[in-house]
Amino acid sequence: MPASLLAVEAHDLAKTFRSGWLRRRETVALRGASLRVERGAIFGLLGPNGAGKTTLLSILATLLLPDRGTATILGHDVVREAHAIRRRLNMASGNASFVWSLRPAEVLAFYGRLYGLHGRALRARVDELLERFELTPHLKTEYNELSTGLKQRLALAKALLNRPEVLFLDEPTLGLDPDVSIRIRGQIADLRRQEGTTIILTTHYMREAEELCDRIAFIKGGRILAEGSPDELKRQIRIGDVIALRLDPAAPVGLADLAGALHVQARGDRIECTVDSAEKRLPEILRWLVEQNVLVRDCQVREPDLEEVFVELAR
Amino acid sequence: MSSRAEPMEDGLADRWIGEWVRLTAFAYRNLIMARRNVFFVFELTFWPGVAMLSHGLLTRFLDLTPQMTAFILVGTVALSAVQVCQLDVAYAVLFDIWSKSMKHQFLTPVRIRHLALGSWLVGVGRGVVVWALMAIIGGRAFGFDFLGAGVGRVTLFLLGCFLTALVIGLLVCALVLLWGTRAETSAWAAVNFFVMLSGIYYPIAVLPAWVQVISAGIPLTYFLDGIRAGYGFPPRFGHPFATGFALSLLYVVLAHWALAAAVTRSRRTGLLLKLSE
Repeated sequence: MPASLLAVEAHDLAKTFRSGWLRRRETVALRGASLRVERGAIFGLLGPNGAGKTTLLSILATLLLPDRGTATILGHDVVREAHAIRRRLNMASGNASFVWSLRPAEVLAFYGRLYGLHGRALRARVDELLERFELTPHLKTEYNELSTGLKQRLALAKALLNRPEVLFLDEPTLGLDPDVSIRIRGQIADLRRQEGTTIILTTHYMREAEELCDRIAFIKGGRILAEGSPDELKRQIRIGDVIALRLDPAAPVGLADLAGALHVQARGDRIECTVDSAEKRLPEILRWLVEQNVLVRDCQVREPDLEEVFVELAR
Repeated sequence: MSSRAEPMEDGLADRWIGEWVRLTAFAYRNLIMARRNVFFVFELTFWPGVAMLSHGLLTRFLDLTPQMTAFILVGTVALSAVQVCQLDVAYAVLFDIWSKSMKHQFLTPVRIRHLALGSWLVGVGRGVVVWALMAIIGGRAFGFDFLGAGVGRVTLFLLGCFLTALVIGLLVCALVLLWGTRAETSAWAAVNFFVMLSGIYYPIAVLPAWVQVISAGIPLTYFLDGIRAGYGFPPRFGHPFATGFALSLLYVVLAHWALAAAVTRSRRTGLLLKLSE
């Protein structure tokens, strides 16, 4: 892929945090992470707690210096040209916080000024973002009195002040009610569709990643273990197919011992059997159930979802 | 032209406007905070008022001459003006530490000079208010003429105090970015340490000889020497204001460099992120 089409390119990034005066402690956060993100894509970074997602994002956002490796954003080096690219990127995180006494418009006006916006352009941009994120009814409320959802929407509004070409979102729906999360996911998708923004997000929610991301990287122990589109990852990480059955009577003993059965999970009269190949094992399972005098009331075959891929990789 | 080009600053005029806008962003934030938080009112009125009254009463009790009263009360004004002004500079970083929003500030194309000068401007304004308040209290309660040293001398003295405050404020910001919240108390402690060595209520001649060497390296020593000369005390140094300003400018540059280095170090150690969690 030509470099000009890349929004982000990172090669062999490593970072170790050191703490303590007398007894030095070292925490290795990244062990040589590399990735390439196309312009206009939504790229997801998935991984368990402490995997290195936020560290990687922070290096790319120029907030943290790597010990080793290189990274460029829109062709600019994140270490040597940090100041130049800060105009063109922005970031919002799930646990964002702003100065307690400022009201939403004042938070936006303060950061807008830091991006060089002023006068009518600043007022128009602030009004537009307040409107877009439905913050207008809360103009008189100081930051520390806003609800978590409103704080999160304000963080996203702040992150769009400079119309960033690259936007980093660190767990943007963390701790939010489902309806607020859905709305924020919609706003993230709109952002790419309407403005062509390249978005790199970290999340714990597989559904969010599956719904939003063109490509996903699984990161664990500071290393990127797998990368691809959600479908590619499901194929790449062969963890089998899932056969979901509704049985009468429920859950016969011995199903897990059948050839090709990798994992069996029973819940009431429903049973989910993960097998190496549904095409090969389904007839065998059905035949065995008939022999056991078990009536199959419903049967569905599905591919594993991203969550199952994640669990497999995180193991 | 791309719709994204909004904040670009291509021309020279645009660049200057951009500088001014970023600089005033910090002034804007400090002013809002000053309006909404009661501790700012205390900083501006209560503590300076208490200092002026208690020191004024002390001069009465000791039955000091008007000249000696001036010597003491000039020190009282210096401490309050420097304290209030340097706190505003330190707030450029402290607000973000207290609200855990540090990373947002350094994610923007902002420079140290913007946060330093922007918040300093508000500090100068608040410092002038403190001086005026103390002048009124000192004049009414103790008959002390705060312009007795001459308007020019008083102006130079206040400017010197504010430059000293800028240096101390920048150093406090650097300390906080080096050691995190553990260094927070330096925002209040540092100024007392420096004024103690500057001969705040006494001539530096009463200090041990080796401390006097340190005092000679502190700009406030010269500004106090300069204003006290206006009240009839023979100056210890030749050209005290010129020396004080020269030292101040040198320290402003060094403190600016120290803060920039502290920011870079906090990006390396991860403290910048820790202060945002």
